Amino acid sequence: MRIRWISILLLLALAAGSVSAHGGKVHVVGTVEKTNPDSLVVKMKDGKSVEVKLAASTVYLERNNNQDKPAKLADLATGDFVVIHATPKDTGLEAGQVRFSRPVAPKAAAPAAPKAKP
Amino acid sequence: MRRGSILLIVGVAVVGVVVAIAASLLHDGVSSRATPSKLEAAIARNAHRLAIPANARSAQNPVIASEEDLRTARLHFADHCAVCHDNDGSGQTLYGKGLYPRPPDLRLPETQNLTDGELFWIIENGVRFTGMPAFANPEEHGGALESWKLVHFIRHLPHLTAAERVEMERYNPKGPDERTEEQEENSFLNGATPKPKRESQNQHPR
Repeated sequence: MRIRWISILLLLALAAGSVSAHGGKVHVVGTVEKTNPDSLVVKMKDGKSVEVKLAASTVYLERNNNQDKPAKLADLATGDFVVIHATPKDTGLEAGQVRFSRPVAPKAAAPAAPKAKP
Repeated sequence: MRRGSILLIVGVAVVGVVVAIAASLLHDGVSSRATPSKLEAAIARNAHRLAIPANARSAQNPVIASEEDLRTARLHFADHCAVCHDNDGSGQTLYGKGLYPRPPDLRLPETQNLTDGELFWIIENGVRFTGMPAFANPEEHGGALESWKLVHFIRHLPHLTAAERVEMERYNPKGPDERTEEQEENSFLNGATPKPKRESQNQHPR
């Protein structure tokens, strides 16, 4: 029972994200709320949304099977998990690197085996 | 009497010049947050150029860079040099921005116009009174050939691609908090569960 509650809490945490900074660089973690040709809107852990501008030099990497593989903006979709390393520019953030992965759909519960007739 | 006056004038002039130079060098006290004056920058640039022996200046790079050598140098740079110079050579890092004098932008003509021999000499011997250390220690650094490979990489810096920069980021030295955060980000993307963050992880020094 306790494990189930912990799992639910952790799944909720999965759908969330956060922002942290490293010597002038900002990490934006969350889910893709909206994709635009020149920006991404990311929904973070606290429910707030942040828009990150995309540049010609932005690198896209799709994480699959524990590995990052080159990708492109068109591969991104709403609802994807995303980790963006961005640099503050003017009044906003500009993405240097966008790593993303597609959330795994929860497996449907297996139908209960028919009870053997007595 | 006349001779005494001349000596006095010369003396005052010398003291004036010394005071002007001292004021130029010691402006803002000894804080490394100051920006070197033009006079100081010019003296330093020419002095360190002159300090490099002529035969070292004209030395030719013995390494014919292959793709593999360039990658080795790139990752070497990411691990050893980028902490001050940044992966792209701009010097815009926490340490680079705090040094006095600031590391030069390696992509600009001021550095790119140096000869291969000069670049090699600076890597091997460092630059006194700056944050640039000497790396001429075969046991610690991999020997002179590694420095010559770095010279090739410095030439490549103005053309560094975004993909190369991303690869370098994986080889940059990281503290425990950054490693933990990287693991959490990977876990998040892998669909696993991120551990709750400690407060300190959101507070990085600038």
